Amino acid sequence: MKIPLSWLKDYVDFEDTVEGLADKLTFSGVEVEGIERLGGGVAGVVVGEVLAIEKHPNADKLTLCKVNFGGASEMTVVCGAPNVAVGGKYPFAPLGTALPCGITIEKRKVRGVFSEGMLCAEDELGISDNHDGLMVLDAKWAPGTALSEVMGPPETVIEVEITPNRPDCLSLLGIAREVAALYGTKVKAPDTALAESDPAAEQATSVAVEDLNDCPRYTARILRDVKVGPSPDWMKRRLEAAGVRAINNIVDITNYVMLECGQPLHAFDQKLLAEGRIVVRHPKPGEKILTLDGVERALEPQMLVIADAAKPMAVAGVMGGEHSGINETTTDVLLESASFRPAAIRSTSKKLGMLSESAYRFMRGVDAELAEFGSRRAAKLMCELAGAKLLKGVVDVRSAPKQPWTVVCRPARLEALLGVKAVPEEIAKVFESLELKVLRRSPDAIEVQVPTFREDLTREADLIEEYARIYGLKKLPPVRSMATLVPDADDKPAQAQGRLREVLAGLGLQQIMNYSFLAEKLLDLFDKDHAPNRAKLANPLTADHTTMRDALLPQMVETIGLNYSRQVSEVAFFETGRVFRLGPDGKPTEEDHVAAGLSGPVGRMGLDKFRPVDELEMFLWIKGLWEQAAAALNLRGASLRPADRPWSEPGRGMEIVVDGAVVGWLGLLSAGIAKEWRIHEPVGLLEAAAKLLVKDVEAMQALVPPPSFPSIRRDAALIVATGVRHERVLEVARAAAPAELEKVELFDIYQGKNLGEGRKSMAYAFTYRSKAGTLTDEAANGFQEKVNAALKAQLPAEIREG
Amino acid sequence: MDIKEVDGWTAQALSELAGAADGAALEALRVKYIGRNGMLPALMQGLKDVPAADKPAMGQALNRFKTGVTAAVAERKAALEAAAKAAKAGAFDLSLPGRWPRRGRLHPIQQLIDKTSAIFRRMGFTVADGPDVETEYYNFDALNTPADHVSRDVQDTFYLPGGLLLRTQTSAVQARYMESRKPPVRIVCPGRCYRRDTTDATHSANFHQIEGLYVDEKVSLADLKGDIDHFARELMGPGVKSRFRTHFFPFTEPSVEVDFSCHMCGGKGCRVCKQSGWIEIMGAGMVDPNVFKLAGYDPEMVTGYAFGMGIERLAMILFGIDDIRRLYENDVRYLAQF
Ligand SMILES: [Zn+2]
Repeated sequence: MKIPLSWLKDYVDFEDTVEGLADKLTFSGVEVEGIERLGGGVAGVVVGEVLAIEKHPNADKLTLCKVNFGGASEMTVVCGAPNVAVGGKYPFAPLGTALPCGITIEKRKVRGVFSEGMLCAEDELGISDNHDGLMVLDAKWAPGTALSEVMGPPETVIEVEITPNRPDCLSLLGIAREVAALYGTKVKAPDTALAESDPAAEQATSVAVEDLNDCPRYTARILRDVKVGPSPDWMKRRLEAAGVRAINNIVDITNYVMLECGQPLHAFDQKLLAEGRIVVRHPKPGEKILTLDGVERALEPQMLVIADAAKPMAVAGVMGGEHSGINETTTDVLLESASFRPAAIRSTSKKLGMLSESAYRFMRGVDAELAEFGSRRAAKLMCELAGAKLLKGVVDVRSAPKQPWTVVCRPARLEALLGVKAVPEEIAKVFESLELKVLRRSPDAIEVQVPTFREDLTREADLIEEYARIYGLKKLPPVRSMATLVPDADDKPAQAQGRLREVLAGLGLQQIMNYSFLAEKLLDLFDKDHAPNRAKLANPLTADHTTMRDALLPQMVETIGLNYSRQVSEVAFFETGRVFRLGPDGKPTEEDHVAAGLSGPVGRMGLDKFRPVDELEMFLWIKGLWEQAAAALNLRGASLRPADRPWSEPGRGMEIVVDGAVVGWLGLLSAGIAKEWRIHEPVGLLEAAAKLLVKDVEAMQALVPPPSFPSIRRDAALIVATGVRHERVLEVARAAAPAELEKVELFDIYQGKNLGEGRKSMAYAFTYRSKAGTLTDEAANGFQEKVNAALKAQLPAEIREG
Repeated sequence: MDIKEVDGWTAQALSELAGAADGAALEALRVKYIGRNGMLPALMQGLKDVPAADKPAMGQALNRFKTGVTAAVAERKAALEAAAKAAKAGAFDLSLPGRWPRRGRLHPIQQLIDKTSAIFRRMGFTVADGPDVETEYYNFDALNTPADHVSRDVQDTFYLPGGLLLRTQTSAVQARYMESRKPPVRIVCPGRCYRRDTTDATHSANFHQIEGLYVDEKVSLADLKGDIDHFARELMGPGVKSRFRTHFFPFTEPSVEVDFSCHMCGGKGCRVCKQSGWIEIMGAGMVDPNVFKLAGYDPEMVTGYAFGMGIERLAMILFGIDDIRRLYENDVRYLAQF
């Protein structure tokens, strides 16, 4: 809302700079969003008319303008503005003028031609930052008119934002009340004394309100002999400074009074109302209305209209109708000043897509007791400015008036809540400055009567806030911060999730974050079977965000695809986030998940990166990532089992089992899905429910001391059929070896022509160690012979010892 | 054999040693001149045939031979070794790129959630958590939001079937937590929130907040000021201050908006703070008595403060991010810089 300061000063006196005022208002809850300075002009600058334009002989971008500025002779001015035109009127600074930008105009040569003055842009006059071209003035101004006359008197406008709890501040008087409280002055209410004449208004019209719940009050005054015409300049300037377009004196007065006191008003041409009377009712089926903006609008039964005896003439509180509006021939005015139920106006305004100044105020709440004041004030101005004759009295249809209520504030409670010392006298003074009537004051309690326009003040806490904001939040005492320790507060689950993220980042993965909702077709691509259990938004905003994610992998692959398309093919990502699935009761359940995605030579370094990555290598990386993460998380009871997923390449998926429950999967992305993002390299993926993965983060296991005796290593290269698996080798070796076999490590796999078709070489290192003493070479040889014999017989294998 | 001859040998040996090209040549010369079967033992052998009168002078000449050659061998050896070392060092390319498999980073939003949570944890707050899918009760009713409040509108809030919704604020955790335990309560709740905003440079339909709640006997607005001041210094630097402006939220009374003095310019005014010297960081206030009543706490017995701030907004301020969408685009070249 825009507040012209000269207008505000009609209602309240205060001694401060505009910046000081803005600061006080902002800290007390009326946020000043901007300060704008209008009008004023610059001494010496006048209206100049360009009579002719010639090209500058020595410069392409400059012109020579003949300017009439009301002086004895015309001046030739060198001008560089792109928008200069013959017949145009612009601010002209004659020789000797000092401009706010620091230039004093002198007769001087510009590229060899004398310039006798200057045509100005807005920035040169200090009006704005605009330097796009000359400031264009209305054609009506005679050359030589002072710019200060064109611009009007100087005005400062502050723009304020009013929070929803303070509809009473949506007016100049409302702001004036705040200013008066902040500066300890009094509000000067405008005059509403009326000169009325016969007959009585109720003989000239009638008002019927069919729904007093939606329209708790409707008042009508009748004015005759109205002369519609333009408003006086002072009123037009004020309206324009407040951001409202001037139309004619009657409409302008309704707007002026609304801005002044917050009461929206509407003026009907009474002769255009069937039977000259008002019926406030809900629309009948099929009823339409042509609103003032020229649009025909269908009305719905729960909306409220202001009708005449026959049909709707206005959408109540939102917008007037085209057919009953004030026009040049209007002589009889029916002045509406009413109040409507906020929720009803909000719903109608939203349905019709119309947010007028009236609707905005009614939505937030207009005090029904304000209707009389607004009506009297507007009627008075219509008598004064439009020569109207006011009929006696007012037709006032209303529900029972709201009575002021009382609230008690205990100074002790105020001190406890704010942490400031306060004496009852001071508290009472603050309340009185806000027009709260102090009924009773004791050291223990201050009882106040709240005026009806402060509907937000119903409880002690509300009064305490009033004290705090007027007392000044800047004066809050600095209290030393103390860490209060709360017994039994436990955030270990949150810390464990943090540990999981640290482990994954420590393993070299970059964390990513994706939205919790996405397009369902992306989820379908990875797992169509889950579709019935997905939670869908009832009111999605875009087609890309319709469904809550039930897995993290689809966006993981999408992210890899995005980076891939930007020529970044080597990435290692993880994401932790919630997934959502419908439970058996049809309600969404949530689970924290973790996902990882690898592409490119993530497990290699340096020059090795330049070889393509094959499927086995990528699979071993994603599996290795899992093994390292599980070990770092101290996870016990975890294993992997071969299991394909709809998204995985056949035979390249495994499920993650923890304590007997399947908690996730890892494997390679199927080539069919990878193609969607034009990825033609293996992609390793992992997704698991996070909770069980971190179950042992805090647990300690019994420590094993480092071994006391040295170990002995024996190597063996097994030549076996290509179908022999590593786990089978381990199984056979372990079964045959004595307890001294500490570990078996695969260190090479080789397939080559020299081995023959269908055969491969697997090289293993066997480490033996005794807990009782240092092993001899002979003993180690004996162990290895046993192992070799078993491998030869059971795999079967040919063995080359190392 | 005379002295002249011996000195001649000495001169020749020194000259040959100085020219020894490598370790092997040097060793051959050493053997030739001072080795067990070399020239020196042979010359020493000849000393006995020298007339007695000449013996002292001859002895000195032989000594010159021995010490001179021995020293020259050592000197040449050191020179050859130094040259070899230099050659080896020169062949070592220090400028080759280093090798280490990978580095990982946390997402900038995660970093700020962790950083803010850590500060509050040191101040005695516990990290609490609640569901993303909420009921209208916890997201609105329990927070004293009027039944017809605009924020409940389908324009602004994402709804799911069955009257559920995606929480619009982490404040929803407050009521759940208070219902489940008795005061005192001192929690922060970082988490994901959702608003039906069209995503643009400064809005994201999916975003993060961190919420704080402290309830006890005699918690005051001045306590909130002290705690927020402390947080401001911890988060943004030792000189940073906070200030309160009166505002309105349904779930607090009094309500304030909190600005931090600009960490970039120290309050003098710069681009980051739009020349004001202050940056709006959070909303806060004293817990509304209605919120306590709904949670089953007696507002006559306890008071409390609550605050909440947007993590994305913090990220934009602290990291200088110009477009919120970059945070969710997940281009690794951007994320890896944080
Ligand atoms: Zn700054």
